[in-house]
Amino acid sequence: MSYQLKWSVLWSGQSGHWLLQGLLTTLQISALAWVLAVALGILSGALRTVPFKPLRAAAVFYVEFFRNVPLLVWMFFWYFGVPPLLPRPVQDWLFDHSAEFWAGMFALGVYHGARMSEVIRSGIQSIPRTQFEASVAMGLSVWQSYRLVILPVALRLIVPPLTNDSLNLLKNSSVALTISVAELTFQTRQIETYTARAFEALTAGTLIYLVLCVGIAGVMSVVERRYAIPGLIARVGGPGGHARP
Amino acid sequence: MKRVLVVLLAFLLLATPLSSASAQSQTLDKIKEAGVLTIGTRTGSPPFAYINKNNEWVGFTIDLVEQLVIPAIAKEVGKPIKLTKKESTPPTRIPLLNSNSVDLIAGTMTDTPERRQSVEFSLTFFLTGAQFLVKKGSPIHGINDIAGKRIAAQQGSTNAKIIREKVPTAQLREFPDQPAAFQALVQGQVDAYTNDGIQLYGLKGKAPNPGDWEVVGDFFSEEPYGMAMRKGDAKFKQTVDAGLKQGFESGKYFEIYDKWFGPKGELPYPLSPQVKAYLLKQIGK
Amino acid sequence: MLDLSVITHNFKFLIVQGFLGIGNFGGGTLRLAIPAIALGFALGIVVALARLANAAWIRVPAVVYVEFFRGVPLVMVIFWFWFIIPQLLGLPLPEYGIALTAFVLFEAAYFGEIVRAGVQSVPRGQVEAARALGLSGVKSMRYVVLPQALRNMIPSLVTQMIVLFKDTSLASIIGYVDLTKAAQIVNNREIRPFELYLFIAVVYWICTYSMSRMARRLERRPTPA
Repeated sequence: MSYQLKWSVLWSGQSGHWLLQGLLTTLQISALAWVLAVALGILSGALRTVPFKPLRAAAVFYVEFFRNVPLLVWMFFWYFGVPPLLPRPVQDWLFDHSAEFWAGMFALGVYHGARMSEVIRSGIQSIPRTQFEASVAMGLSVWQSYRLVILPVALRLIVPPLTNDSLNLLKNSSVALTISVAELTFQTRQIETYTARAFEALTAGTLIYLVLCVGIAGVMSVVERRYAIPGLIARVGGPGGHARP
Repeated sequence: MKRVLVVLLAFLLLATPLSSASAQSQTLDKIKEAGVLTIGTRTGSPPFAYINKNNEWVGFTIDLVEQLVIPAIAKEVGKPIKLTKKESTPPTRIPLLNSNSVDLIAGTMTDTPERRQSVEFSLTFFLTGAQFLVKKGSPIHGINDIAGKRIAAQQGSTNAKIIREKVPTAQLREFPDQPAAFQALVQGQVDAYTNDGIQLYGLKGKAPNPGDWEVVGDFFSEEPYGMAMRKGDAKFKQTVDAGLKQGFESGKYFEIYDKWFGPKGELPYPLSPQVKAYLLKQIGK
Repeated sequence: MLDLSVITHNFKFLIVQGFLGIGNFGGGTLRLAIPAIALGFALGIVVALARLANAAWIRVPAVVYVEFFRGVPLVMVIFWFWFIIPQLLGLPLPEYGIALTAFVLFEAAYFGEIVRAGVQSVPRGQVEAARALGLSGVKSMRYVVLPQALRNMIPSLVTQMIVLFKDTSLASIIGYVDLTKAAQIVNNREIRPFELYLFIAVVYWICTYSMSRMARRLERRPTPA
């Protein structure tokens, strides 16, 4: 049985439309989940520093539990396990408005929130307290010290690993296909089901991911270099700061 | 380990996909070489192919393969053949077949003229029709009551296609397999689930609370089940059909039918004389 | 409400078959994770050394390899191998081989970057001293650079191993009966997703938490002066 390449299936018929829809869904679910993740990351990172023990413990529990369980398990949990627990009107609204998209979004956002929390926390902690004390000693107000001294350094420390994790979030959005979210990888399989052209479909999907990821990483490294402070060594996480925590 | 190394090498050499010359029966040759028949079958479609309470993978179609098809293949290639099962679902079964991941689809696949354009079907081994599964007391009694309602179906199934064509106002929700669709029904995400009657009875029978569910409606389509194979391999189809034919003639098929659908079976569903005649007519009886 | 009997009745299937891999379905999370981690790390070292090579014909393919696998989702890579391998071999292959190959090749790109950063973090003076003592390039790498590099990398390495361990759950997508797939099989029959998925979440957590505890203990071992 021979396999002839037939690239035209990608733009004839439904396939091109499906790919575009898939790309849009991927971007939508990733963007929303990213906002949720950053919010949760900042919140839990902040809670780790308050003097009230139960809040600190809750933040630690959130981070340690949610990021050590596979994302796929969370997808199933949020989609199958959570809706029956919600009040009936909420359930009805969900089922009429793509419950799988919201379940996937929450799974992705809560999971990456736990990971981003660690990035943000270690970034802030690696700024010596003396920086803050020195700026106050120089007469800057608390707000001014944060804005002019702490935050600029903190952002430059946090942004590289945060970019890394954000790209991981984008790639991890593909796991949502297991709960029938029609994102990009799902659509490549859809094309394969209807046209039997698996090689072409997979290539198209792969190229789109590559362009997105390498593109975003490239833009971010230009941004980092442009705003780098000479002499500031950004080594959050030690060797292998590029790794996927 | 050797296979992994071969694959790594092959991946490095991969420029364009291979084309292999058509042989007499590639499938039979491959099966002979490996000593294994790999089938794609269901894991959640009782009693045809499912994982039971003891977490064993069993079913009517699986038995047909083990007791009728495998002996025929073994006889043809001249050596004992083992069976390997892989999970296949309506959206994945034809791709799995065409990519050589499985040699035979043996589950609950309906034989249709349209599908015959991409795969080969064996003799029909079961005949049923499409119906609906609803919560007991539901206002839905058949295909005439579903306009505007939310209906679950499996992606890529004949049932989904027919609903889309016949009742476009029904809100069709497609799911990757039967368990996902059933869960949607349980959670109230949909008002009814459409599939072939016998499968709905099987699902109802194995559900945690069978009394909560009803199978309603006249058959809104006829669904003959066949086993699917890759196109162009006439000798393999011949062998599979020979196995089924032998089963019909010797009565083994009816024994297996009785085991699953007889009065003491998993799901009592008597074989009507018309269906029996239909099955036997295939082999000229 | 919370019905734990579904877990006790299926405990053997979930843990012995799904987690360990002993049973009729092949499968097993550990049976996949352990070889994947070992082989992925080994290949990662090769990739890292290739990445650091002077010869462009070795270095450039390594760079392309790493950038490629880090730019695509693992799910996509799994689908590639699921489709390509049976086509190439012309034979059906058990999911184990497909999943293992996909994981090893994918994770080696990430392990490779960690090893590379570790090697690059060893001070140049060490290499120069080793050469001055008469050790060849290979010997100095083997006896001087790599041991020190490995010690530096331990936290990142273990983190990556934990990631790989969690990633094995994706093998369930192609039907491999690991812990996640076993839970799906039981859930499809019993419809108790909350209890089942929470249970396997706890099992995964126990494993990954133990791995990170072990890593912290390894880190604390005193380095030779």
